[in-house]
Amino acid sequence: MDQKSSLRFQLISAWCGPAFLFTFVLFWGVIGRNIPNPSPALSAADLAARYSQHLGEIRLGFIVALITVVLYMPWCSYISARMAKIEGGYPVLANLQLIGGALTVMVVSFSCCFWAVAAFRPERDPALIQLLTDTGWLVIDLQYACTTLQMVALALAVLADRKNKATPLMPNWVCYLTIFCAVSFFPASLTGVLKTGPFAWNGVMSYYFPYFCWLCWEIVASTYLIKDVRRRMREFESSPSVDGGAPRATALAT
Amino acid sequence: MRSQTDIQSVSVGEPTRRLPGVEGVWVFVAADMMVFALMFGSFMVSRHQSPALFEANRHALNPNFGGVNTLILLTSSWFAALALESVRKSRFVLAQRFIGGAFLCGLAFMVSKGIEYTVKLNAGISLTTNEFFMYYFTLTGIHLFHVVAGNVVLVVLWFRARSRSCDPERPVVFECGAIYWHFVDLIWMILFPLLYLMR
Repeated sequence: MDQKSSLRFQLISAWCGPAFLFTFVLFWGVIGRNIPNPSPALSAADLAARYSQHLGEIRLGFIVALITVVLYMPWCSYISARMAKIEGGYPVLANLQLIGGALTVMVVSFSCCFWAVAAFRPERDPALIQLLTDTGWLVIDLQYACTTLQMVALALAVLADRKNKATPLMPNWVCYLTIFCAVSFFPASLTGVLKTGPFAWNGVMSYYFPYFCWLCWEIVASTYLIKDVRRRMREFESSPSVDGGAPRATALAT
Repeated sequence: MRSQTDIQSVSVGEPTRRLPGVEGVWVFVAADMMVFALMFGSFMVSRHQSPALFEANRHALNPNFGGVNTLILLTSSWFAALALESVRKSRFVLAQRFIGGAFLCGLAFMVSKGIEYTVKLNAGISLTTNEFFMYYFTLTGIHLFHVVAGNVVLVVLWFRARSRSCDPERPVVFECGAIYWHFVDLIWMILFPLLYLMR
């Protein structure tokens, strides 16, 4: 593949981050009725009623979210490739980031899947609907560690990048923010025990704050990733063409 | 040696005051403080909603444990500050001792919390007992997690002091460690009155 096409794919992949973010909030959050999400303290009958009442939206939200969640994959793939450039011969952190990102997609997918199954036959025994809803939430809230590793790997690789101090992939503060956001998921482990309060799966500490951190990290990281691709595109265009003639941009224009 | 460098830095025109540590540590600490502020805020909201429950259960806590924990952490912070001073004076052996002191204080805090938790659990009180104890266990637990992380940092600093791998004029790693350790101390200073003392 020529470098121009490669850079174009890189830019598209970097933009998949914000695209994932937008579709995730819209379909998983708003249309799927997860802002606010159902309380774990809700009785089975009330929970079943919630499904019946918003059946169309919940089905649409989760079924579409299950497709758009894969936008996270090209984004992670690009980050991984960019990290491998930084790491050189042994891209351990780049691989870790890729695995973490890929499994994040699976964790999010499976949670949606359980809710989609719950919404498939809303007339079934409410206890089963509750079981599926519980499973979905605990799948997504107890398995955050894949995402934590993904984020920490990225932060460590960029922090340790001493070759490109003049043009780092991200500033140091973003790396520290990334580590912080990654660690902010830890309280979500308490969702396995608590049904009310800030540490329940609809609480501030286990839901709103860590999810907000994750999405904020997506925005900040995407901003710098896109900036980096654009910088390299400019460099490519102003670099001399293969035959040593005029820069590519002028060569193309003439 | 010291005055010589001071003269040098003045002649180059560098500012004499600088941010200790790296900016990233401050970002991390500020963000973490925000998390604790959120937790303290939600504690206050819940407390406001059921004041009787919170007041009654507060008496089940032993303030002596909290008080001893406070003293332990303050001493530990003092050790960390002394260690940093020693590193700045290139007295690495002394710094190692102070770091060791801070580490032992951290360890004592963990043991004390372990005993406190065991007493509560043996009395049949746990995370799910009621709202007050949910906050008690989660807030002190998350703080304890920070103490454990701090002790890991102290071990790293101890080895750094032993290998003398830092610039005494700008011991960034030691500064970062001390900032974090003071932050853990500060959080406890708020947590202790909030859970044990506030009427």
